[in-house]
Amino acid sequence: MTSINGSDVRKLIIACDAGMGSSVMVAAQLAKSLKKYSVRVEHSPVNTIPADADVVLCQQGLVARARRSAPDKVVLGFQMFIGDPLFGQVEAAIRDGAELNG
Amino acid sequence: MVPSSMADTATGTGGAVLTARAVRLGLRATDKWDAIRQSGDLLREIGAVEDPYPASMRERERSISTYLGEGFAIPHGTDEARRHVLRTALGFLQFPDGVDWDGNRVDVCVAIAADGDEHIHVLSALAKILMDHEAAEKLRRAEDVDTVLALLTTHRKDPTA
Repeated sequence: MTSINGSDVRKLIIACDAGMGSSVMVAAQLAKSLKKYSVRVEHSPVNTIPADADVVLCQQGLVARARRSAPDKVVLGFQMFIGDPLFGQVEAAIRDGAELNG
Repeated sequence: MVPSSMADTATGTGGAVLTARAVRLGLRATDKWDAIRQSGDLLREIGAVEDPYPASMRERERSISTYLGEGFAIPHGTDEARRHVLRTALGFLQFPDGVDWDGNRVDVCVAIAADGDEHIHVLSALAKILMDHEAAEKLRRAEDVDTVLALLTTHRKDPTA
């Protein structure tokens, strides 16, 4: 488990296997909602998560692979591509400066 | 692949990524594997991918479902098969009778072949549509190609924003 304060998040990575479909859909939603907090949102294949990522979001089934790929990052899993409760929780933590653990 | 900022992709050339030729309405599929096979065939037919990319789409689906919600799925290949993508392109396959997708009903497959980020603005438009029940219904029930292209490649101001 790693943790980060929401106010320290500058770059959020949405990871999926190929980085060409699912992660793009999620990144599109979050880029819009997190823009006002100056958080960059990018998508990436799970095996090549950028070194400067602060937080990684991926489908629940990919969390273990994401942790191996980026062992020092906070990794959070979601179930649904559209409207997963996690997206609101991450936004709230960034807005309120709350801890994110994962 | 170098990830790029979503913020930089608000404008783009939607016509090049999703063309009228790649929009197929009124299709039928016996099951989701048939729908995925048709998705792969379409991407190959329009010259976006070569074998074995279509087969990798089945592999990708077996590992984690590409069901999105609102009757949409986005079949695509694996990271390993990316080298068999000849150009970034999307296909739109509509199944008016629906396809059973592990208990969910899928009316539309958006087939993806990507070797870059040129398709992001179309998927962003799709993400926005899926959060709007009425727009999603309009896209699921589209009866002509122009309606599909207009919904996915035109940048409208969000009236609720």
